[in-house]
Amino acid sequence: MLRKDINELLTRTGPGTAMGELFRQYWMPACLAEELPEDGCPPIRLKLLSERLVAFRDSYGNYGLIDEFCAHRGASLWFGRNEEGGLRCPYHGWKYDTTGQCVEVPSEADNSSFAENVKLTSYPLVKIGDVLWTYMGDPASQPPLPEFEFALTPAEHHYTSKRWQQSNWLQAFEGGIDSSHVTFLHSGGLKSDPLFKGAKGNQYNLNDTKPFFEVADSEGGLFVGARRNAEEGSYYWRITPWVMPSFTMVPPRGDHPIHGHFWIPIDDENCWAYSFDYHPMRPLTEAERQAMIDGHGVHSKNIPGTYRPEANMDNDYLMNREKQRTGEWYSGVEGIAIQDSSLQESMGPIVDRTKERLVPADSGIIKARQKLYRAATALRDKGATPPGVDPAHHHVRSAAVVLPQKEAFLDAARDDVRVRPGFPISSV
Amino acid sequence: MAVETQTLSSCARAATAEEARYRIDRPIAPSRAGRVVALDPGAADVLRRTAQHGWANARFYVCEAGAGEGEDVVLRDVDGGPATLADELASASVVVMVATDDTGAACAHGLGKACWERGIQTAGLVLGDGTHAGTTASAAVAALRPHARVLLPSADEADVVDLLSALRV
Ligand code: FES
Ligand SMILES: [Fe+2]
Repeated sequence: MLRKDINELLTRTGPGTAMGELFRQYWMPACLAEELPEDGCPPIRLKLLSERLVAFRDSYGNYGLIDEFCAHRGASLWFGRNEEGGLRCPYHGWKYDTTGQCVEVPSEADNSSFAENVKLTSYPLVKIGDVLWTYMGDPASQPPLPEFEFALTPAEHHYTSKRWQQSNWLQAFEGGIDSSHVTFLHSGGLKSDPLFKGAKGNQYNLNDTKPFFEVADSEGGLFVGARRNAEEGSYYWRITPWVMPSFTMVPPRGDHPIHGHFWIPIDDENCWAYSFDYHPMRPLTEAERQAMIDGHGVHSKNIPGTYRPEANMDNDYLMNREKQRTGEWYSGVEGIAIQDSSLQESMGPIVDRTKERLVPADSGIIKARQKLYRAATALRDKGATPPGVDPAHHHVRSAAVVLPQKEAFLDAARDDVRVRPGFPISSV
Repeated sequence: MAVETQTLSSCARAATAEEARYRIDRPIAPSRAGRVVALDPGAADVLRRTAQHGWANARFYVCEAGAGEGEDVVLRDVDGGPATLADELASASVVVMVATDDTGAACAHGLGKACWERGIQTAGLVLGDGTHAGTTASAAVAALRPHARVLLPSADEADVVDLLSALRV
């Protein structure tokens, strides 16, 4: 269980909240680059950390993320005309550049300086990889750009998708470090999913359903190690890194691409689940990319033209009791992503953690909550910069390794869990 | 393929804030008779302080290797009173072992084995930096690893309190 006041603190991310301020210390995904595909394309509406925004790409290729509502009388700039060098509100013609600066108020005299004093709130928007990243905090403490490996590999090496999840960010994120659910909820996928199957490590997973866990601090967050018996005298370790506030990576399987997530609050009852796959050593194959587009692996099949999964709460996630009975889909829901979202959404928009009955296998989650709570209160009370802001903390990888039983996982695998350019992922 | 259901509460759309207030709200019994065991004098200091918090059923002990052979371990109440391992484990559902160095290795082994035989879940917390070879805490981690289902190798005093609170002991 978690105290009510701590649950409140960790789940509220609007302006002025402690957790909201914590998120505002980091660069985080605002949207996918594909949502603004070309210069002068239509703007998009976005809500992030309970702030309504509009993102656009001007005629010169600059990205902007600004207050959704026109400074004049509050019309939504989603209706805006993306004109030469700015977005024009179609109501009375006020025009804004990508920094939110008003550059034209047609009702004023041509030589008026009125527009100079009108500026909408705006945040930087920067393309790295498939993602447009933003930083919503105090410009004075804006950190250097993020350096997550998936986004820095060549375009042919990675694929990123996103899906709308109708729950608070924390219960979505907690699934990302909850190694003990994989053996149950996702057991079907280990045998059939084109992006998982065939790895030697899968056998260790399936042969030993009661893993041991180790949860160790890292500079940017945690490493959660799950160990199972391998051959005589050795353990099979699956190591999941978490970089604060909400970046997680799934331990790899064989030579399949490696994947992970970002969990970004939209508001307190909705979040974006970003899912990426990449291979540091080679381009993704056609078949791999197609499987990702088709919603296999950690990705989802979304309703065309939207980021809402086809299987969602309005259709009971297309529950299939027959597949549940045979175990092909352990929960009766298809695909890793929706298996997770269906159960996490079923908890309610903000799960009441005072009612939980946790077990020692939940220690990763217990420790992560504690670290978030400490970081949020240290920021609020002392202005302390939280872990994960420094781009050096982003240089982590997940790993799946077989180690001698007497080795400490983090000591023996320290090189395996950090980014080493030119070296493959450590995976079995 | 929308599923047609008569009422909101009979389909997945019931996952709203309004519907959440219909979740049955009965007091939750403390689920775990927790036994918390210090494996060395440093850990015993921490547990003496931890024991001051109001716990439902948790009890706190110091473990000492017995004079006899093998798995022989002796428990004492954290304030010095006598305790018998077999009795204390009889009612336990989880045993949390706390260490700061490897002097309690024999205790960890004996306790771990006793818990294993009885099907009792074990967790280990090592206070200090147990993730770098050569530290005293890493020696404690090595001693605890085979015997704890869950191990926190870089814990601090607050982790002890947080873990026990989360487990409702
Ligand atoms: S078994 Fe974990 S939520 Fe039900
Ligand atoms: Fe999952």
